[in-house]
Amino acid sequence: MPRPRDTAGGPPQIPRRTALLGGIGALGAAALLSGCSSAGQSAAPVLAEGSATGSPRPGGVLRMARPPASQAETLDPASSLSAYEYLGALYNRLVRTDENGETAPDLAESWESSGDGTVWTFRLRDRVPFHDGSRLTSADAAYTVRRLVDPELASPQGTVLAPLIDPKKVHTPEPGVLRVELTEPNFEFPALLTNYNCYVVPDGSGAEIGSTGVGTGPFRLESFSPGGRGRVVAFDEHWAGPPVLDAIEMFAMTDIQARTNALLAGQVDLLSQTNLDFATARVVQASERATIARSANAQWYVLPMLTTAEPFTDVRVRTAMKLAYDPQHVVDVALQGTGVVGDDNPVPPGTPYRSDYAVPRDPERARALLAEAGVPGLRVDLYTSSYDPVFTPMALAYRDSAAEAGIEVTVRNASADSYYTQIWMNRPLMATYWYTGRPADQLLNQVFRSGSPYNETAWSDEVFDGLLDDARRAADPDRRRTLYQDAQRRIVDEGGAMTPMFADRLVGISKEVLNYRETGFEFDYLDIGLRP
Amino acid sequence: MPVFISRRLLSAAVTVLLAAVLVFAAVQLLPGDVAAQVLGQDATPDAVAALRDRLGLDRPAVLRFLDWLAGAVRGDFGASLVSGEPVADALALHLRNTLLIAVATIAVAVTSSIVLGVLAGLYRDRWPDTVISSLTLIGMSVPEFVVATLLVLALSITVPVLPAVVLDEASAPVADLLPAVVLPAAALSVVMTAYIVRMTRTSVIDVMAGEFVTTARLKGLGTWRVVVRHALPSALLPTLNVIAMNVAWLVGGVVVVENVFNYPGVGTLMLEAVHNRDLPVLQAIAVVSAAVYVLCNLAADLGALALDPRLRTRERSAR
Repeated sequence: MPRPRDTAGGPPQIPRRTALLGGIGALGAAALLSGCSSAGQSAAPVLAEGSATGSPRPGGVLRMARPPASQAETLDPASSLSAYEYLGALYNRLVRTDENGETAPDLAESWESSGDGTVWTFRLRDRVPFHDGSRLTSADAAYTVRRLVDPELASPQGTVLAPLIDPKKVHTPEPGVLRVELTEPNFEFPALLTNYNCYVVPDGSGAEIGSTGVGTGPFRLESFSPGGRGRVVAFDEHWAGPPVLDAIEMFAMTDIQARTNALLAGQVDLLSQTNLDFATARVVQASERATIARSANAQWYVLPMLTTAEPFTDVRVRTAMKLAYDPQHVVDVALQGTGVVGDDNPVPPGTPYRSDYAVPRDPERARALLAEAGVPGLRVDLYTSSYDPVFTPMALAYRDSAAEAGIEVTVRNASADSYYTQIWMNRPLMATYWYTGRPADQLLNQVFRSGSPYNETAWSDEVFDGLLDDARRAADPDRRRTLYQDAQRRIVDEGGAMTPMFADRLVGISKEVLNYRETGFEFDYLDIGLRP
Repeated sequence: MPVFISRRLLSAAVTVLLAAVLVFAAVQLLPGDVAAQVLGQDATPDAVAALRDRLGLDRPAVLRFLDWLAGAVRGDFGASLVSGEPVADALALHLRNTLLIAVATIAVAVTSSIVLGVLAGLYRDRWPDTVISSLTLIGMSVPEFVVATLLVLALSITVPVLPAVVLDEASAPVADLLPAVVLPAAALSVVMTAYIVRMTRTSVIDVMAGEFVTTARLKGLGTWRVVVRHALPSALLPTLNVIAMNVAWLVGGVVVVENVFNYPGVGTLMLEAVHNRDLPVLQAIAVVSAAVYVLCNLAADLGALALDPRLRTRERSAR
């Protein structure tokens, strides 16, 4: 079923079948509702910024609607078919990403590397219980790491970690110490363990973890059925203290309209992995029961040009495509103000290594470059689908903007159902997006490095790869930042990806919910609660 | 009569087989197979190849179809390619749930539409007819998911008396599902009633203009006696086929409506199966839907035979 475009880091997205039926209905309902409930309002009421915070009442049950991965989904965090919402409730990682995008302690209290960045030593927190009563030791952490790079398991994060880790060189010198000898120096290694596939599971639990869900997380599993409903309950012995809630109930709903209706009718409190379209978002915000929590810069939108396909093999054409359009126009049209321009750089604003390098729009120069490349009056097809509500407006806004440079773009709508297996990485130009939340090193290596399975533009650039290698080897943080920023410049100047914008995710939640906060693929399961 | 029935049963079997062939072929034409769809773009090419191999997807389509057919004839619909569970079990469970909606819909729609159709026909061009005909026109023009959405808006969100979506799974006890049946059945009834009302109205008007009705009236029989004893059986005859077609349509309409309500019935199962290219599940659903379709038509024809003696004699004299 709907595997996220996000694989490597993201939770599954809106199931494609939404596009078949629900989408139309949702729009219909949205139009109707906004017609009667917001009669006095102007065309574009401002959407709320974030969710309400405060002191929740102790206890309570949060009901969550989620799109199921499929009947084959599992609680195994390393799997590409993991039931994503359960993971953050049931498990912890060695390290996590904090709200500033920095790597922060989770099960590992501290970590340090050898001077050359090849040997990493993690000191684990003391006395951390698993749900089955056993205590966390470095054997569990070592097992988790070895498992991730096991080719048999084919974990999405395996492709990132396997080149760095030899399973024989994962050591447990003491019950509380994990030591990993990397095959090459990497000063960004801990950041790669913040991925959601890297949740720690008990030693030897691989065969049954998919159904038991035994972890160290704030909730323990009460019930789970793949593609169906499930329930997790507070784990009072959690090492960081028990969560506020008593339990979380999860309901699988494939249709986005069904999910929205459930929220509006008060049957659920939170819509997971659902980026609401603007019409629906306004309906939700205008309702008595529910509201919108905006998760800032939660996804970045891309128009990837396949650098192995004509005419994008020519860097002049790629540059012209980027110079031709006005990102602010695309943001205004496609996001209606709920996002910021991307300047063709995929590293999110406000994260540690972001470069503010930008090339201003210049349609005249774009025209000249195209003439120079022998393709004046370039005509291209741009593929989109209803998989995500922003794709088509983004494509249309790009088309209108690029027309000023003499580029004729034909927007073609493909089936949402098989968009990511048939169109993505197969057509020379299409619309797509990724969830933000992965560290810059992982992002750049995974999506842009030569030969990476997720390199969606098939870009292969030795200079860029060399910058990433140097950055990983650089012990000095300032030097590392400079190198990562140079790599971003390279993407902006030479690469195949146009990144018009970063968008806020519009999350539908009940007004009863307090302290909904998202960082790096996970919301805060400990502090989230319900109004007193 | 037995010849007629056995001939119809034979053509029914052929229809079901054709449906199975067509669905099988259609799924082959969809972009991507079950391995690609289930594993998604996360999957390494090796993983996809391994899954294809395990599921036997590399074998020629004709062989796979014949395998399936051999099993189906013995009543074995195989296992889902996604969950690995037997198809028959899942289908039976979802079918039970859809039947809840279907039975409620048929009961409500058929009864109310015949009453309304007869009223409209008898009061032709007067206000009861105008009201009923206008409403049915609206009912026919609005797609069922819009009706469903309006019902949710009215009865789940504005005045929350009924659930907007089903939170239960397919295996939930019938009693738990019952509140969730009301809105889907209501939405389907609106659309279904509209068609039957119009058909009933037309045939009531035809029949009431017939000579035997005039004769019955001249004999001095009361209007209602004429309607119930003489006109209605004839008027219902053409209506039966419309009812049969509508019952068969339910299977399709249910898909859309179930999706809106997250209702764990055959429609939801089918969407899931189409999405995942889960062939054994789709094949089983195709066979069941085709069987429902031909059985409904057969029942309508037999009903017509029972209601109209002339058809029976014609059948006999033709032999």
